[in-house]
Amino acid sequence: MTVAVSRRTFIHAALVAGGGLVVSFGWDVPRLEAQAAAPPLQPGGFVRVDRDGTITIWSKNPDMGQGVKTALPMVLAEEMDADWTRVRALDAELDRGKFGGQGSGGSGSIRDEWDLYRNAGATVREMLAGAAATTWQVARDEVRTERSRVVHAATGRTLDYGALVEAAARQPVPEKPAWKMPASFTLLGTRVSGVDNPKIVHGESLYGLDVRLPGMKFAAIAKCPVFNGRVRSVDDRAALRVPGVRQVVRIAGHENPTWLMPGVAVVADSTYAAFKGRDALAVTWEEGEFAAESTATLSAQFDAVSRTSGVTVRAVGDVDAALSGAARVVEAYFESPFLAHATLEPVNCTADVRDGHCYVTGPLQMQTSGAGVVAAAIGLPVERVHIQVTRLGGGFGRRLLSDYAAEAAVVSQAIGAPVQVVGTREDDLRHDYYRPAGARRIRAGLDAAGRIVAWDCHLVNLSRNSYRRSTPPWGTETYGLVAGVSNDVAPDLELDLVPWHIPNVRLRYSEPRSGVATGAWRAPAHIANAFAVETLLDEIAQLTGRSAVDLRLELYGAARALRITGDDPTPYNPDRMAAVLRRAAERGGFGQTPPEGRVRGLAAHHTFGSYCAQVVELSLGPVPAAGATGAAAARWVTIHRVTCALDCGIVVNRSGVEAQAQGGIIDGLGHAFFGAITIDRGRAVEGNFDRYRLIRNREAPAAIDIHIVASTMRPTGFGEIPVPIIAPAVANAIAAATGTRIRRTPFTREGFTLG
Amino acid sequence: MPESVLTVNGRRHAVDVEDDTPLLWVLRDTLGLVGTKFGCGGGFCGACTVHVAGVATRSCTLPLVKVGGRAIVTIEGLTHPVQQAWLDLDVPQCGYCQAGQLMTAAALLTRTPAPSDDEIAAGMSGNLCRCGTYMRIRAAVRRAATLAAGHDAAVAR
Repeated sequence: MTVAVSRRTFIHAALVAGGGLVVSFGWDVPRLEAQAAAPPLQPGGFVRVDRDGTITIWSKNPDMGQGVKTALPMVLAEEMDADWTRVRALDAELDRGKFGGQGSGGSGSIRDEWDLYRNAGATVREMLAGAAATTWQVARDEVRTERSRVVHAATGRTLDYGALVEAAARQPVPEKPAWKMPASFTLLGTRVSGVDNPKIVHGESLYGLDVRLPGMKFAAIAKCPVFNGRVRSVDDRAALRVPGVRQVVRIAGHENPTWLMPGVAVVADSTYAAFKGRDALAVTWEEGEFAAESTATLSAQFDAVSRTSGVTVRAVGDVDAALSGAARVVEAYFESPFLAHATLEPVNCTADVRDGHCYVTGPLQMQTSGAGVVAAAIGLPVERVHIQVTRLGGGFGRRLLSDYAAEAAVVSQAIGAPVQVVGTREDDLRHDYYRPAGARRIRAGLDAAGRIVAWDCHLVNLSRNSYRRSTPPWGTETYGLVAGVSNDVAPDLELDLVPWHIPNVRLRYSEPRSGVATGAWRAPAHIANAFAVETLLDEIAQLTGRSAVDLRLELYGAARALRITGDDPTPYNPDRMAAVLRRAAERGGFGQTPPEGRVRGLAAHHTFGSYCAQVVELSLGPVPAAGATGAAAARWVTIHRVTCALDCGIVVNRSGVEAQAQGGIIDGLGHAFFGAITIDRGRAVEGNFDRYRLIRNREAPAAIDIHIVASTMRPTGFGEIPVPIIAPAVANAIAAATGTRIRRTPFTREGFTLG
Repeated sequence: MPESVLTVNGRRHAVDVEDDTPLLWVLRDTLGLVGTKFGCGGGFCGACTVHVAGVATRSCTLPLVKVGGRAIVTIEGLTHPVQQAWLDLDVPQCGYCQAGQLMTAAALLTRTPAPSDDEIAAGMSGNLCRCGTYMRIRAAVRRAATLAAGHDAAVAR
């Protein structure tokens, strides 16, 4: 098939020249050879058109509920004018040659793959249209495409895409296929129901835990309850007597515990036997140096360290002079706890190591980096690790790490059979890589007119970068904090600091000592940082008698585009920030008199290229009786309405964006009120949903109104931005009603609960 | 091991597992019905909800020996307007909890064909969703109630 080889080369070169893309975009040569009799049209790894008109589109990144398996195919389908009812979407297997780097994280799939999927769609459309024009012997510009067919308007002739497959394969590959104009979109911006929904509502196999392979075993792993601990000795006699238990496997662990933690695996014929066998193990642990750590010792450490000087990460102006010359200094200390990811599908993965290869099937967020982790764990070259992702029963950052895939691979290698490693809920909550706990001490200096002239923030936060030695620990923990507008704005923004018009700003950082394992958690550092910044700003507005809207607009400053990194195509624009703030305030009635007994709060934030502002309307229950204890000591908060204004550029799937806004608000609300992992004797205390409370249906807002800014700007990330805003909006409303400024989460420990 | 007989989705199965095994694991590991989900193992999250003699029940805390002869319906055997409503309103995000949500919703509507908003929120509050699909779950239960009423009216005519 020399023709295929030359086309592959051609397409690859065309794309590199056309869009600077490094991703291979070739013909699937072996598949074409195998199906030489009736080859489908498959220019590259992303799309295939079969002769019956079925269009298959691969989502290169995993779907964990953010909707990418629907949205990425929509982008391609729009550009190729496909009939969506004839499109099927599949999860791509790991294939660097076809797909480049694969993984879902950082709200990046739509932002990063937009060009790739549009180009793929435009390429196929041009080849199909060209094929029809050639067939009819008319000029290319006399034909147009719509709903999976090519139309020659002058003669009324039409040809279905399926009928054009062979002719299209003989067409030249367009070097720079033209993209459609947003005004002509018919699919993007509409509400499309998720592609896996029919399987979900009928309970068909979709998730990692649903994987079943012939001869497969199940395994549960005992790990040291104290973080950083190790196995000293194991007595597995009782475990091996449990019916169905087959084998016990020691796991040494990797020096980087985010790759593989040490433990003892019990292998059995069924999940339940594996759980029972694991419970019957008698393991003596080497608990290590953090066995005395607790939430109380960590809090004391945060407070003490926050009073030291720390490392200055960024500075503009002279903060010390401005603070000493200020008419008033407002100081506030904020603290945030560890949070577990609590994906409803507990951690699990299935692996089959055989014939010098490892086949992984499971819920990974990051296939590409996951293959490296698995390869290191079992000593195979990375090319011999094959990964097929399933649908993920939630990710929220937990599955950015691939430790559980490495566990499955190590156990499969040891027993010589395919195995599914399953975590119980207790395993999942007590051996997570948590949203790091920490604190911020902020001092704001105000001049006589009430303007903010100095802002000094000392961030004392565990880092989720501890095991990535190539970047400093603050590299991911400062996101969402404030930077002064300086001549050096691009380096500031590489830390994703929000540029505000404050003349003197200093950001300091200290890394506390702790053994607790940490990782990324949906909208990572933005949650705690936006809470501190947005509530303190509200307090300053109140203290200086100004509108919380006007104060923010003043700080955002005039419209300008700032580049966050050199090649970011969607630089921060304070004008877009101001627009969502105004819209939320107006639609949510902020600044107007609320109905009797109700109060409103406002907050806004920018991240992952998108802009969002929220106004919450709530009411409070009666003040608890003096001397009340426990739950009775908390004041009830009822959320009546959340008004959310957002700008994420072009909307791909309107249903998906609205779902992320609704879900992000509910998720942010639940964690603000309930979320906390307590550490005691070096261990995570909460083991199940009785003590690690997730928000319930009746606690969610009565209404969430969503206002999306109409835009033709490039789409930006929206899976995380709605989350960090609701907690400060609620805290600001509570302060307006009660005068109490909440500076820690969860709110249930600060005297307020949700109901 | 004693052999038990289970009726699941109208089919009888002879199963050969330990008596204390929760129904959840019999469904998933013995019968291969993986639509019923494992979420917490303690009856807290509702992901494992099935119908036992028509009643929404947590299968993760129900030992096989306690099932007796009662008929079990799982998500694979559910045929109810809630499924269409869930598709229409694009309820699922990750979707993992939705089998349990659907089983709970179907049982709720059987018991209370025209629930109020408060009855829906209260009735669905035992099923946790980390993605936060609660707004759409409420709307979809309302829609399913309407669809079911329309269906009943059509049958009556």
